[in-house]
Amino acid sequence: MKKPVIIDCDPGHDDAIALLLAFASDALDVKAVTTVAGNQTLEKTLRNALNVLDFAGIEVEVAAGAAKPLMRDLIIAPEVHGESGLDGPAFPPSKLKPSKRGAVEVIVDTVRKSDAKVTLIPTGPLTNIAMALISHPEIKEGIERISLMGGACFGGNWTPAAEFNILVDPEAASIVFGSGIPITMCGLDVTHRAQIYEDEVETLRKMNRKVATMVAELLDFFGKFHSRFGFKGSPLHDPCAVAWVIDPGMIATRKLHVDIETSGEFTTGATVVDYYNVLKKDKNADVAFDIDRERFIKMIFDAMKHYD
Amino acid sequence: MSIPVIIDCDPGLDDAVALFMAFASDELDIKAVTVVAGNQTIDKTSKNARDLVAFAGGKCRVSVGASKPLLRELSTAEFVHGDTGLKNIVLPRADFDFSKEKPHEIIYEEALKNEGKIHIIALGPLTNIAAALLLHPDLKEKIGHITLMGGSCYLGNHTPAAEFNIFVDPEAAKIVFESGIDLTMVGLDVTNRAMVFEDEIEEFFNLGNRVSRTVGEILLSSLDFVREFGFEGVPMHDPFAMASVIEPDLMETKQYHVDVETRGVHTSGKTVVDVYNVRGLRPNASVGVDLSREGFVRLLKRLMKKYGE
Repeated sequence: MKKPVIIDCDPGHDDAIALLLAFASDALDVKAVTTVAGNQTLEKTLRNALNVLDFAGIEVEVAAGAAKPLMRDLIIAPEVHGESGLDGPAFPPSKLKPSKRGAVEVIVDTVRKSDAKVTLIPTGPLTNIAMALISHPEIKEGIERISLMGGACFGGNWTPAAEFNILVDPEAASIVFGSGIPITMCGLDVTHRAQIYEDEVETLRKMNRKVATMVAELLDFFGKFHSRFGFKGSPLHDPCAVAWVIDPGMIATRKLHVDIETSGEFTTGATVVDYYNVLKKDKNADVAFDIDRERFIKMIFDAMKHYD
Repeated sequence: MSIPVIIDCDPGLDDAVALFMAFASDELDIKAVTVVAGNQTIDKTSKNARDLVAFAGGKCRVSVGASKPLLRELSTAEFVHGDTGLKNIVLPRADFDFSKEKPHEIIYEEALKNEGKIHIIALGPLTNIAAALLLHPDLKEKIGHITLMGGSCYLGNHTPAAEFNIFVDPEAAKIVFESGIDLTMVGLDVTNRAMVFEDEIEEFFNLGNRVSRTVGEILLSSLDFVREFGFEGVPMHDPFAMASVIEPDLMETKQYHVDVETRGVHTSGKTVVDVYNVRGLRPNASVGVDLSREGFVRLLKRLMKKYGE
């Protein structure tokens, strides 16, 4: 049986690839896509989600969620994703229309109606997920797991101590990590190892498929930012959270306790991972540390063959 | 030419080994040992420091400093260093008194006397150093260098995010890191790897003098504790900081900007090291990132052997 999932995202280059990976998989039944403000404003991340899905010929309910974090002003990442949030390829106007329902309503309703427990895959700030859990705590029972891209055991990217998705809405992250729902945390520790190299981007382009070429163009833009920080390739952050749900054996995790710092001067948004178990607290997350990179890249290639 | 140094410490099992190294080294000219509360309360750390200096045949002043952090209550590390601060190690009682001058007076005096060359080696919480900087605003221009054992780029030890020395007095650490003084941070990234392996401990007993045997006993007494954390050997935090001053080539450093978190709920006392320079700020510390473990153990053995001469 296919695993029912909801993808909550803020496309975003790597979000776009995560979406395409999920919809191509025989293992997943993507019930809905919800969007959140993060990499760009809500208006732009919603438009980008619709553009990518329509471009790939995917029909699904796409619902807009929070326009800003629970308690803070929005931080966006135009340095990484451009002014549109998805700079690079040109998209024709999308025929896919946004849902009339909001993200929280779609998440809650999908979980309630599903026979099997639903897996949530958030690849942006955790605002929508936190709002769903605050407003309808009973849905926890219907959530199998949250496989998220965010945080890091070692270091950060947007500040020295914090990864972008958690930094944008640390209070939401604190609600999610404190929810008791099983969590797989695909943070920078693993996503920085999930890089796609330039020659592999060329392989995508040479597939001569419309969607694969679009992905190559996304990675052309995405790679420029990362080469400035000395990366050999582009880290495919968000696809890791999807890849774990499809094929958990590909990613090595450790069960650890994770707290979210919400009140530091220099550390707000840090996922504080108790690597040595000094706090002796309940372990609330499977923290990802390593990935079989070649198997992962092959999974991306195979997914692209699914599209025109 | 030897380096004029002041050693500020809170002995402490690993502080003890660091002091033994210092007093055996021709590279250092030890002007004073100043003591701070940390691994244990000040009465215990200062007694231990004085007894250790005497045991090592040292002739310098030993000065009793801060009994608690600048703003916070003291946390000790009794679970590592035992009730006395030196676990099962018993030393003969020193035959001299503590200095009448406070650490901040000695630091200021020696900084002036040594004309910008004084090197402070800080092995405990940074309370004494911060107090000296607060009391003498011109001191920061007169200190040559501070090498401190504390902090880390990545994981902590006392909490998931914070290393013990910085955790105990984060405000003091903040003052030191923001002082503009040339700093070398010898943190857990290197000291957790500055291990003496179990099969190397025997050699310290075989060196055949009372100091090296004491080092052997300290190493043995730490084995159980470190095994609990899955370490392959005993990490020698303070001794490696000392080694990095005696033989700088043992440690590779990188220039980073380091902030000290003083407010976080889960991260207080974390040294926030901007490894990717995402904030674009000027580096304020040389941070130890790699080391020669074998070189360190070789130096430790060479210095301990000198006590037999």
